[in-house]
Amino acid sequence: MWKYITQRILLMFMTLFIITGICFVLIRMLPLPPLPAEDPHSVIVEMQREAAGYNKPYMVQFGIFLKNIFTKFDWGVSDKLYIGREVADIFLDKLPATIIVNIYSILLSIPIGILLGIFAALKKNTWIDHTISTLTMVVISVPSFVYAFIIQYVFYYKLNILPALMNAGKDFFTWSMFKSMLPAIMSLSFGVIAGFTRTTRAELTEVLTSEFMLLARTKGLTKTQATVRHALKNCMVVVLPSIFGQFISILSGSLIIERIFSVPGVGTLYLNSILAPDYPLFMMLTVFYTSIGLVAAIVVDISYGFIDPRIRMGSKK
Amino acid sequence: MRKFSTRVLALSLSTAMLFSMAACGGKDEEENPDATPTTPGQTDNPGNGDNPDDNPGVTEQPEAPIADYIYKDHVSVLPTYWNPLDYQTNDDGYLSGFIDGQFYTFVYNDEIHPVEGREPFTGYKIIPEMAASDPVDVTEQIKVSHPQFNIPESATSGYAYTIDLNQNATWEDGTKIDADSYIYSVKQLLDPKQLNYRAADWYTGSKAIAGAKAYFYGGRTTKIANSEDGEAMKYQIADLVKGEDGTYKTADGKNVYIDLDEGYAWLGGDSLTVFHDDGYIPDEGCWNVLSPLADREGLVSVTDETLNALFVFTGTTTDVWGAETWEQLGYYLSIDDEAFPEIEYDGNVGFFKSGDYQITIVLERALSGFQLYYQLAMGNPLVYEPIYESCKKETNGSFTTNYNTSVDTTMSYGPYKLTVYQTDKALRLERNENWWGYNSELYTYKDPTDNQIYKMYMTEVIDTQVINEPATQKQMFLKGELATYGLGSEDFEAYRNSDYVHVTPEATLYFFIFNGFTKAINEREKAADFDTTKYDLQTMTLTTFRKAIAITYDKELLCASVSPARSGGYGLIGTSYIYDPDTGAKYRDTDQAKKVLCDFYSVDVSKFANLDDAVASITGYDPVAAKELYAQAFNEAIEQGYITDSDGDGKSDQIVRIEYCSSVSNDFIKKTIDYLNEKLKEVLKDTPFEDRVEFYESAPYGNTWSDKIKNGLSDVVLAGWTGSTLDPFGLTELYTDPDRQYDGKWFDATKANLTLTVDIAKIGEEPNMKEITMNLKQWSDALNGATVESPVGPVNFGDGMAEIDTRLTILAGVEGEILQTYDYIPMLQNAGMSLLSQQLYYVVEEYSPIMIRGGIPYLKYNYTEAEWREFIASNGGELSY
Repeated sequence: MWKYITQRILLMFMTLFIITGICFVLIRMLPLPPLPAEDPHSVIVEMQREAAGYNKPYMVQFGIFLKNIFTKFDWGVSDKLYIGREVADIFLDKLPATIIVNIYSILLSIPIGILLGIFAALKKNTWIDHTISTLTMVVISVPSFVYAFIIQYVFYYKLNILPALMNAGKDFFTWSMFKSMLPAIMSLSFGVIAGFTRTTRAELTEVLTSEFMLLARTKGLTKTQATVRHALKNCMVVVLPSIFGQFISILSGSLIIERIFSVPGVGTLYLNSILAPDYPLFMMLTVFYTSIGLVAAIVVDISYGFIDPRIRMGSKK
Repeated sequence: MRKFSTRVLALSLSTAMLFSMAACGGKDEEENPDATPTTPGQTDNPGNGDNPDDNPGVTEQPEAPIADYIYKDHVSVLPTYWNPLDYQTNDDGYLSGFIDGQFYTFVYNDEIHPVEGREPFTGYKIIPEMAASDPVDVTEQIKVSHPQFNIPESATSGYAYTIDLNQNATWEDGTKIDADSYIYSVKQLLDPKQLNYRAADWYTGSKAIAGAKAYFYGGRTTKIANSEDGEAMKYQIADLVKGEDGTYKTADGKNVYIDLDEGYAWLGGDSLTVFHDDGYIPDEGCWNVLSPLADREGLVSVTDETLNALFVFTGTTTDVWGAETWEQLGYYLSIDDEAFPEIEYDGNVGFFKSGDYQITIVLERALSGFQLYYQLAMGNPLVYEPIYESCKKETNGSFTTNYNTSVDTTMSYGPYKLTVYQTDKALRLERNENWWGYNSELYTYKDPTDNQIYKMYMTEVIDTQVINEPATQKQMFLKGELATYGLGSEDFEAYRNSDYVHVTPEATLYFFIFNGFTKAINEREKAADFDTTKYDLQTMTLTTFRKAIAITYDKELLCASVSPARSGGYGLIGTSYIYDPDTGAKYRDTDQAKKVLCDFYSVDVSKFANLDDAVASITGYDPVAAKELYAQAFNEAIEQGYITDSDGDGKSDQIVRIEYCSSVSNDFIKKTIDYLNEKLKEVLKDTPFEDRVEFYESAPYGNTWSDKIKNGLSDVVLAGWTGSTLDPFGLTELYTDPDRQYDGKWFDATKANLTLTVDIAKIGEEPNMKEITMNLKQWSDALNGATVESPVGPVNFGDGMAEIDTRLTILAGVEGEILQTYDYIPMLQNAGMSLLSQQLYYVVEEYSPIMIRGGIPYLKYNYTEAEWREFIASNGGELSY
């Protein structure tokens, strides 16, 4: 097991290096925005680009980039979107809002989604199941920004019980801030709840029809006991890793929801850094997101071994 | 292990449940159903990540307003970098006017600031702000004492001024602002290492400081392209001289380089490096010769070896480009232009201290009167030395600074100070109690409604937040949480007659720029994927066809359909342009300008009572005449071989496809294209082009849209120029200078002649009317202050050189000639329409291009914040406009 984990970590670093190198060269190959010939400021921008090393060969630029990170942990300074500010500071400044909103969303979604899934599975082929399944499909099919506008209109404009936008500031754990985040949380949650509901229902339905469930009942367990002790555990082998998947998406933020509710998060940061282009910001975000994705993949794989003892990757027979 | 995983699972689910329940339920004990919901930037303390003193507890309360008068603003993009030396975008200019000040500023004329001959609040008065008094012209003295600034011998005024500084001015921490503060700031601005973006404002243009460019460029040699337009070359390859070291130079000894990093118009704006990187290279070997020899700027010395490599590189035909001849290699050369040695600031730059509270400015060119004050009312480059020094950072020779990027790195000297800033979210400005102006009579006015004297800046706090969605903006405005709301097309019907709506004219006049670059169009038609049996592009280059397009559309209807706040545009120069800042007289209201429109739209003035009625009759829409022109264009296109009519049915076999150049696809562009096609279909009915002309949207070209248009790679775009509304004369350069023209590739202003009868006498002399024929470029140059050789001798019609009537005649003449090219078809006059909150009112409702409506200094409040909340609550939480 440990050997397997070590191998995966080493492989992760190699993958990270390759992806970083490819992204660095590709983004630098994009033509810089043309400068208006008649604008005297264009000359200065050309000089700034020159001083920033944009005209050096790509691999030389990449070498400098790596050297600065390994020797000074310097990810550079934003040169377009947030001129003068350290890119790491910008990202760390905006990350908490995205994480908080999405964690609240996940925490709201997991129990509701799983409970609805269990309920639908236990009431399979009844009107309850049909209602839940239909609503699930509807919710999955409609984009989250549609809920966002509806939620804003109803809860802010008509009912006046929630604010239109997320509060400014970083006091994330106050009631006022939580309340201001609720519209965004609700908008993000609907889709996730539907996802958990569907997954749980599908898995639990399958498990409930397994032969070992019949055995459990014949041993004298009640239906509830059999479901909780045996069926739920088995269906969680699929459901729990999907929670990790949702956590990964947390960090990429929700571009449209953040925009609608003015959440000062990282949702648009990556896209904007490419469009600008803001090379230092783009590279920092690339390395970060790639790392998160790779780490999450390892965690998900390893988690299978803990959740289901039958799965032991890397172990010898 | 099973037990462990079971526990982990149970714990996770329990925690999730717990949080979820907490999130769903739990009524807050402080919740008050009567309280207005808190919103960021209104009643909460938005907090600031940079400020350790933020008190999270503050946001918990449904607290009382933090001030009586809060201006609740919203923006799409919050400023991120408001460093006055280096900011680059309009968004970053948001804080200007709040946290800074200018040497001089504009206020309304009233009894406190009287202007002779003008009724109160119908004009403006220029008052000193960071200056203590008017500038004093010291040209004669400086010419003698500082010969290094090369003030012309003949000049007696306008080149050098001393400005006494306001001794009451301080930074927000109380530190005095004196001459040293300015000298330090300008040294930083022009520091050759820092490469500050705003340096160009002070070494080029009207207020260029003597010696500033030489100091800024110290240690550098500027380069110029051997061919700026892709047509003419300054130096031919054959004329280059080979030196002993095998390197070629120009005959006059200048260094010559092959420029690998320069963008070339004929490569779609790309450089040779990009072309290589994109794979458009038939022989990697030649690139391996050039690339290693390139310096940091991508310049390669010209030798036989590098020239041969360039010839192989560019001279081999590919499907995409190439086949350059030996002579054409000259297009890829750059030449040393001007070498600037490193120099000291002191003694060489015309911005220096001449007293503890006095500075002297020496200019490259003469500047006086209104323009002097106007230039000194913009872009004060003042920075606070202790913070600026602490914010500097140099990495690998590249200089950066985070000055003015947060509360901690910002020091105000204006009426407000920044107290809260959260990136991309919100900012708050509060009164800067150390601002001298609050105690000055200069910032008082007599309200025309009640004749009482008030202090300016009634607003105590400005809360600004980012709100991108118009639907959210509207909801918040109607609930009293925003000061203004910009109307969209869907709001027009509901609010156009509201008492609270304000129309703000803007400078830009949008016109269709039509592709007339035959060479590029022919190339596009030759492309393998272009089916000439089905489609055609060439017909759009016919003037008759463009004339038909020009009168196909009812411009007012177009506005009503796609952008209701705007109005129809009829000339090249918009309705906001003022030719006389003293009187506020507008160019579009002059007889010359009116006649241009009547001529262009073929209005018979004799049929109307006066010129105004004739102009008022113009709609620019004549479907009957358009049908005739389309029929005529069809015949011309057949004759030219652009289209065919193989079955002889009198209709074009091909569809004329016109690509609408889109920078980014949006609702406005889609609506516009739909409208264009719909009306075109109506007018083309029963013509040879029935169902045979269509507009379609291009791929989103982003920032490269103007290059696409200029190079004939896209066909039409709705665009315009935004410039100084106080200088309509300068606009002629945009249509006659190939570097600035959109149609520079197919319209040569030096080959279009214009004959005018004008007064060539200087101001104050006896009139001397002469008929002069010159090309448009010459007329434009002369109009903008250059002395031009004309058939009657040298002429100069610049500001202060010729009577205003003469200048207007020339401006109108040039406008008329450009309109007749039909390269530009006027469509929309830009304007904004917005609602103002019932909490506020403008002292003066009427819009003025200089004073706007007075801005924050003159904004007044009908309600305090507490009263406003009560008012909203009494209206059921939603206001009606």
